[in-house]
Amino acid sequence: MSRLPAAFHWTVPVRGDGREADPGRRPRGGWNPGARREFRPVFTDPRPGNVGPFDHLSAIGRAADVAGFDGVTVPFDPDGEDSWITAGTLLRETLWLRVGVEFPPAFATPVYAAKLSVSLQRFTGARLDWHLAVDIDPARRRALGDHVDGDDRYARADEFLTVARGVWHEKEFTYEGRFHHVLEGGFFGPLSGVPFPRVHLTGTGDAALALSARHADVHVFGLDDDLAEHTDRLRQAGRERGTDIALGLRVPVLARADAAEAADDLARHQAEAGRAAGPGAEPTGLVGSYDDIAARLAEYRDAYGITQFFLAAHPAVEEAYRIGEHLLPRLHAARTPAEASL
Amino acid sequence: MTIDIYWRIGMGGDKESLRHPDKTRGDWDRVRPGSIAPGLRRGSPDGFTYLDHMADVARAAEQAGFYGGLLPSFPMTDDPWAAAAALARETRTWRFMIAFQPGFLNPVHAARMSASLQRATGGRTVFNVITGGGGPAQLWWGDKVAHDDRYARTSEFLDVLRGVWNGGPFDFDGRFYRVEGGGLPAALAAEPFPEIYFSGSSPAAIDAAGRHADYYLSWLEPFDQLKQKFDAVREHSARTGTPPPKFAVRVDVLARETEEAAWREIRRGWDHVDPAAADGFLRRQGDSVGAQRTGDFLSGATLHDPAGLTVSPGVWGGFSLLRPGPAFGLVGSYQHVAERLDELIGLGVDAFILAATPHLEEAYRVGEEVLPLLRGPHELTAPESPAELSAV
Repeated sequence: MSRLPAAFHWTVPVRGDGREADPGRRPRGGWNPGARREFRPVFTDPRPGNVGPFDHLSAIGRAADVAGFDGVTVPFDPDGEDSWITAGTLLRETLWLRVGVEFPPAFATPVYAAKLSVSLQRFTGARLDWHLAVDIDPARRRALGDHVDGDDRYARADEFLTVARGVWHEKEFTYEGRFHHVLEGGFFGPLSGVPFPRVHLTGTGDAALALSARHADVHVFGLDDDLAEHTDRLRQAGRERGTDIALGLRVPVLARADAAEAADDLARHQAEAGRAAGPGAEPTGLVGSYDDIAARLAEYRDAYGITQFFLAAHPAVEEAYRIGEHLLPRLHAARTPAEASL
Repeated sequence: MTIDIYWRIGMGGDKESLRHPDKTRGDWDRVRPGSIAPGLRRGSPDGFTYLDHMADVARAAEQAGFYGGLLPSFPMTDDPWAAAAALARETRTWRFMIAFQPGFLNPVHAARMSASLQRATGGRTVFNVITGGGGPAQLWWGDKVAHDDRYARTSEFLDVLRGVWNGGPFDFDGRFYRVEGGGLPAALAAEPFPEIYFSGSSPAAIDAAGRHADYYLSWLEPFDQLKQKFDAVREHSARTGTPPPKFAVRVDVLARETEEAAWREIRRGWDHVDPAAADGFLRRQGDSVGAQRTGDFLSGATLHDPAGLTVSPGVWGGFSLLRPGPAFGLVGSYQHVAERLDELIGLGVDAFILAATPHLEEAYRVGEEVLPLLRGPHELTAPESPAELSAV
C-alpha cells in the first residue's frame, strides 16, 4: 500500500450519546433507560413507535460526512450496539466516509468475515475498514465464547488475516493452521477484484507489534503510548516488508473557541462526571482552543509521523459539526504541501 | 388535543452561533474550508447541497421530539415546497409547515401540490399562510396588490383551495380567481386538508383568520401586547359567531444551564453588532402591521447594552440584530425559558414554533433540556420572579 494521506476520522458512540459528561446519563440512542426526560402528556410527542436508536447513529454518520471527516470508526463494545450492523447502515447513508468496523477475530471464521466484507465493499464503493480488537479483557472474551488467551490471540489474528486475504485474492486458496483452515477457497465473479478493507491494528506489546509488522495497513496508538519507541519499530518493519505501515492516534478532544472556554467546559464535565466517577469514565484527551489542538496534532504528525487521527467527543453530532467548521480547516491548512496535493 | 411544538429550519443558511455574523452552513456566504453543505474536500466542492444540512436539522428535531418544522419563505432563501418534497421521504414524523404567500401560486395547482405532498408524507403537510410583508420585498415577488386586498385575495385563495379539494365540479367567480368545473381527482381529494396557521396583525388579517385559520399565529411580542392581540381575535370570533381559532406563537429562544451562560452568549454576539447598522433595524420598511408593532415596542431602547432591550423578564428584543428574523425571543436558563413558555400557554397558546441558532445543535438542546420542563396548562402556578432573572 502506498503512503496514506493525512486523514481525520470521527468516533461513533455505540452505547448512548448526549451532552452529559456521565456516559450512563446520555439519552440518545436508547441505551440508558430513564435518561431521556419525557414530555408531559399534554405535549405532542411523535417519537414513540417512530424514532429508534439507529436514527441517532445515522445522524452522527451524516453529520461527520457533511462536516468533512474522512471516516468514522464504529467501536466494538460487547455492551453496546453491534459494530457490523452499525457500520453497514452508516456506509449506506453516507457519501464520502470510510467506515471502520471494529471486531474481534473470534467474531466469525475468516472466510465468513471476508465474505461479509466483500459485499459491504461492493455496496459502498469500497469504503470499509477493519479494526481488529485482539486485546480484550479475558472475562469479556470468555463471555463472548472465546477461550484463546495470551500470545495465542495474536497467532490466531495472524491466521485470521492470512486466510481472509487468501480467499479474497486467490482462486484456490488452501490453508491449514492451528486455528483456521480452508480447502481451495476463494471468491469468484463479481466478488473478486474488490479492494480488501484497510486493516487497522493496535497494541504496544511485542506480539501486537509483530502482528502489525506482518498485517497492518495502519497501526493505531493511544495518547498514553510510548510513541517514540513503537513508531520507530513499525517504520522499520514497513521498510523491511516494502510497504508503509501508516501510523494512527486515538484522540479524545475538547476543542472550543478559546482556551478559557475549553477549561470551563472541562471543569463542568469533571464536576458532572464526579457524580458517577468510576468504570466507564472517558479519557480526557486534548483540551484547548481550536488553534491549540490543531498545533498539538501537527506536533504528533511532525514528531512521530502520525497521519491517521481518530477523534472523539460528545455529543457526537454537534461536536462533528464543530470540528468540521473549526478544527478540520486548521488541520488541512497545516498539511504539508505533498499531502495537500493528494 | 395536545400542544404541538414545532421547530424551524433556516431556509437561507445558518451559522455556528449568534457570536459571528458569517454563515458557515449553506452557500449564502462564500464556501471556504470549514463550510458545511456544501463544503470542500481536498479543495473541491464535496457534492453536498444545503438540503443535506436541512435534512440534518429535520432529523435532529424529529429525534428531539418536535412535531415538525416551519419552513419559512423569503426572497433570498430556498423554497419550502421544494424542500418539503425533497425531505418528504427522508423523515418519518416531521410535519412540514410550509410558509407561502397565496398570491404567488394558482390555488388549483396549490391544491394539487398539497394533496400530493400529503400522499408523499402520510398527511404531514401544514400551511403557514402569510399575507403581510409588503414594501419592496412584495414588489420583488412581482406583487402589487395593496395590503387589505392581499387579505381578500388570501381568503379567495383558500376558498378555492377548499372548493377543489372537496371534489367537483367546483365553480368560483371572485375578484382574483375564477374556476369553472374544477376539482381534484378522487385520489388526491381523499387526502386530509392541511391545518392552516395564519398570520397577520391588522384588522383585515384578523377578519380573514376568523374564516380560515386553525391556528392564529403571531411572532412573540411582549406578553401583554400578545394577550391584546389574542383578545382581538377572540372578540372578532364572538362578534361573527364563529368558533375562535387556536393560538400559536413563533418564539426564538436562547436557553442555557444558567442565566449567566445565556447572557454571556448574547454578549459575545453583541460585540459584533455595528451600532449604526443596529439603529436601522428599528425602522423597518413595508406595510406589515406586525413589523410596525415591533418597532414601537423598542423605540427609545438603548443599543449600548443588550440587556437594555429586555422588555420584561426573559423577553429580549434584540434577536434581529444577531440573525435575520423577528426581534423578540426568550433568553435565560432552561428553567426560566420553560416558565415563560408555560406563561404563554396560560395566555391561551396551543402551539409553538421554536427556533434557535444554530438550528441543528439547539434542536437537541431545547428538546432535551427545555421541553421536558414544560408543565402545560393544567399545572400552571403563578410565574415567579426570582432575583436572578434580571439580565446580567
